[in-house]
Amino acid sequence: MLGLFRALSTTLSAVLRKPVTVQYPAVHKELPHRTRGFPVLLWDFEVDEPFCTGCQVCARYCPTECMSVTMKDNPKHAEGKSKRRKIVDRFYIDYARCMRCNICVEVCNFDAIVLNNSWSGHEVSRYDRRDLVYDREDLLAESKEGSLTNPFREPLGMAHSGWSPKPRGEKAEEEEPSGE
Amino acid sequence: MTIERELETIDVSFNVGPQHPATHGVFRMVLTVDGEVVVELEPVIGYLHRGAEKLSENCDYRQAIGFQDRTEYLSQFNAELCYVIAVEKLMGLEVPERAEYIRVILTELNRIASHLMFMGAFSADLGVFGTLFMYAFRERERMQDLFEEISGDRMMYSYFRVGGLAWDVPEDFVERTRWVVQQVRQGIADIDGLLTKNEVLLARTRGIGVMNAEQSIDWGFSGPMLRAAGVRHDLRRAEPYSIYDRLEFDIPVGENGDVYDRYIVRLEEMRQSVRIVEQCLDQMPKDGPIVAPGLKRVLRPPAGEVYMRTENPRGEYGIYLVSKGTDKPYRLKIRSPSFCHLAALRNMVVGHYVADAVIILGSVDIVLCEVDR
Amino acid sequence: MIADNPWIDAVVRTLLVVMLVIVVALILIWVERKVAGRIQMRLGPMVVGPYGLLQSVADAIKLLTKEDLRPASADRWVFELAPFVAFVPSLLTLMSLPFTAHLFVRNLELGLFYIVAVSGLSIVGLLMAGWGSANKYALLGAVRAAAQLISYEIPLVMAILAVAMVSGTLNLVEIVEGQGRVPYIVWQPLGFVIFIIATLAELYRNPFDIPTAESEIVGGPFIEYSGIRWSMFFFAEYVNVFMLSVLGSLVFLGGWNWPLGNEVGWPLQLVLIFAKTSAMLLVFMWLRVSLPRLRIDQLMSFCWQVLLPFSFLGIIINGLVLVYEWPDVLLGLFSGVAALIAGWAVYRGSRRAAPAQPWSSVPARGTN
Repeated sequence: MLGLFRALSTTLSAVLRKPVTVQYPAVHKELPHRTRGFPVLLWDFEVDEPFCTGCQVCARYCPTECMSVTMKDNPKHAEGKSKRRKIVDRFYIDYARCMRCNICVEVCNFDAIVLNNSWSGHEVSRYDRRDLVYDREDLLAESKEGSLTNPFREPLGMAHSGWSPKPRGEKAEEEEPSGE
Repeated sequence: MTIERELETIDVSFNVGPQHPATHGVFRMVLTVDGEVVVELEPVIGYLHRGAEKLSENCDYRQAIGFQDRTEYLSQFNAELCYVIAVEKLMGLEVPERAEYIRVILTELNRIASHLMFMGAFSADLGVFGTLFMYAFRERERMQDLFEEISGDRMMYSYFRVGGLAWDVPEDFVERTRWVVQQVRQGIADIDGLLTKNEVLLARTRGIGVMNAEQSIDWGFSGPMLRAAGVRHDLRRAEPYSIYDRLEFDIPVGENGDVYDRYIVRLEEMRQSVRIVEQCLDQMPKDGPIVAPGLKRVLRPPAGEVYMRTENPRGEYGIYLVSKGTDKPYRLKIRSPSFCHLAALRNMVVGHYVADAVIILGSVDIVLCEVDR
Repeated sequence: MIADNPWIDAVVRTLLVVMLVIVVALILIWVERKVAGRIQMRLGPMVVGPYGLLQSVADAIKLLTKEDLRPASADRWVFELAPFVAFVPSLLTLMSLPFTAHLFVRNLELGLFYIVAVSGLSIVGLLMAGWGSANKYALLGAVRAAAQLISYEIPLVMAILAVAMVSGTLNLVEIVEGQGRVPYIVWQPLGFVIFIIATLAELYRNPFDIPTAESEIVGGPFIEYSGIRWSMFFFAEYVNVFMLSVLGSLVFLGGWNWPLGNEVGWPLQLVLIFAKTSAMLLVFMWLRVSLPRLRIDQLMSFCWQVLLPFSFLGIIINGLVLVYEWPDVLLGLFSGVAALIAGWAVYRGSRRAAPAQPWSSVPARGTN
């Protein structure tokens, strides 16, 4: 009998606490800074082109092989407006395959790809699976319109297991490698 | 003069699963039932086989961490820990202190989360309408929120790396974790109050699915299933890995090896994990490196083989790793505890009623993905 | 009296009661979901209508528009009549249930007896559902459900009979009139406890809901029903819950009479009786959400080995006190002591170590 009363008193005490659920579509919880949504490409506003040069490192390191990338000669380099000799030509990511493991972000030498840590990086629902393959313009859209304000970039050197590239001039937003 | 009439009865054979009303995953039991009593049980597995071991052979050592998460999808940090320690053993790496402490904190929090999931599913099998499930998941959500703040994802973390961690924890990690632990205490108290002395639970689970100590060792049990039978064996004490030799915690042990003891052992383990987390938070160095020095960008462990085993919430999780000196493992074999426990399911269930079969399956706490890999 | 002609009067009152009960059933479904949600620390239905109030209406519309399936090999008339045979007795019992001294359809002299007798008819509906479904699991579930219902009728009837002995009449209005000073729960605590447990078992609610919620027979006898037929079973359950809660508050908690007495007007009496009914309903919902369910053999052994002897004990106590004209307070005293002994017996019984399993050594299987 006592055990039953204890169970009943536990449930009664739960009634006196506030409910912990929220009405999701009306209320969105605040996402932490490091949350890993789906990958998006970044737009270099100074030079008006993507950061991505199409070097295919991310596609090679992707565990699920969800990306395909091609590169082309950068017309802006020929005009002298940009330091990038090659630029990305086509870039496809299949969001249905991506497992958001963050490896593409870690291996990118140009800090061109980042996982979208806003709600638009999570709310990607489509009726047809083929609509989940994003091309270059879709991937750049988020960054181009300026809504990707605070992407998470781990301090370079950690995830690279201690290795860090030589800091370049134009990528001034890197923190110094605090590996060891 | 009495006339004895023999009633001709047929044993009925039917499926439980692969789609379960309970939440154990795609697992099928073919039960043969004589009236209410189970006469024969045949487990059928393989519905969730996705070739994790073979896929890992095509991935380098960093990509394979993601597959470890997905193999053991309720206690991901434990599986990742086993894997990275295995590779570190092969390479002879020394992991910095701070990384070790953070690893153990996250691993133990994950153990609590996994046991909370067990409590929820177990009580759903028992018929508590959903109350305990919600209480358990409230605490689990707090932990998942914490893990999201640290690693970025709520379930498939991919946060441990060979040699340490992927990136450092946020600055408020210690306060946040202390707060989460304090909330978890309340959740454990709720579960305790709702189930432990409950007469209905005692009537349903005492003496059901008994495996005594000798049988448990014969069948290869490990983890809470073994400890419920009375065998005081915990890999964190028997073969300490990481920093467990510096921590003080007790090992809860049951008496009979029935379903009730397994529940009690897991409940107590949650409390001990809370204790471990608090000790680690006190002992953790304030700053320091989180990755072993001198690692190359692409890892190439020397040729060799290693078997590493850790104490998962389900039992002894083992990784047998063979490397030929390349950047991809040559063979990555996973020894999963649920697979060995399921082999003994027939012995535990035969002779009980059908309603008990569901509860016994729930008490084994299987994760289908590690059974089928 | 609503009309002079007794037939029209009866028809109008019947219609009023039936409509009231349907509305109450819809509200009860919403309340159940909200209460269950609150105990589980979540919000419950919130989307359909303000605070989810129209959720029951949405469910009703969904059920009404579903396809009416019937298995091809099902016995047609048995299958199709079963929901009616389960639903109609619930409505019939409402015919003699008084809500105040003057608000009832017909107050029978044998009101209590009538209610108990008619509510037992729904067992036949369940068996028809199980048999007519042409599904062996439905039949299994129906037979178990019928066994549970029949077994728990006896303690329920005994508990109510004990109250009838104390009040000396089976007329429900007079039973309530007799509770002016003290409600019968004070004289019959054992009876009240047995009534609550037996009611839970009658209604197939947790912790006694194994016929309808088991993982192998999901749905029990109602597996093959869908749409409006299933909703009739569902409504029958909620009407029964309401009816038994009203009965409990009339017979044990003092109805409209205690504590305000008979002089206040009928609106206040109505409010009082609905408040007591709501209290009992909330207790039922609370028990449903908190306790695990019993296995069928444990359920049956609990009934026959615990509830039945103690309900007989209650009647014997009543008999002794009433025949020898001992003071009334002894009724309450003996009954309370018997309730405590019953609780202690259950406590001891569940803590006893389980007997050694005869099946622990299973012979190893031969070749596959």
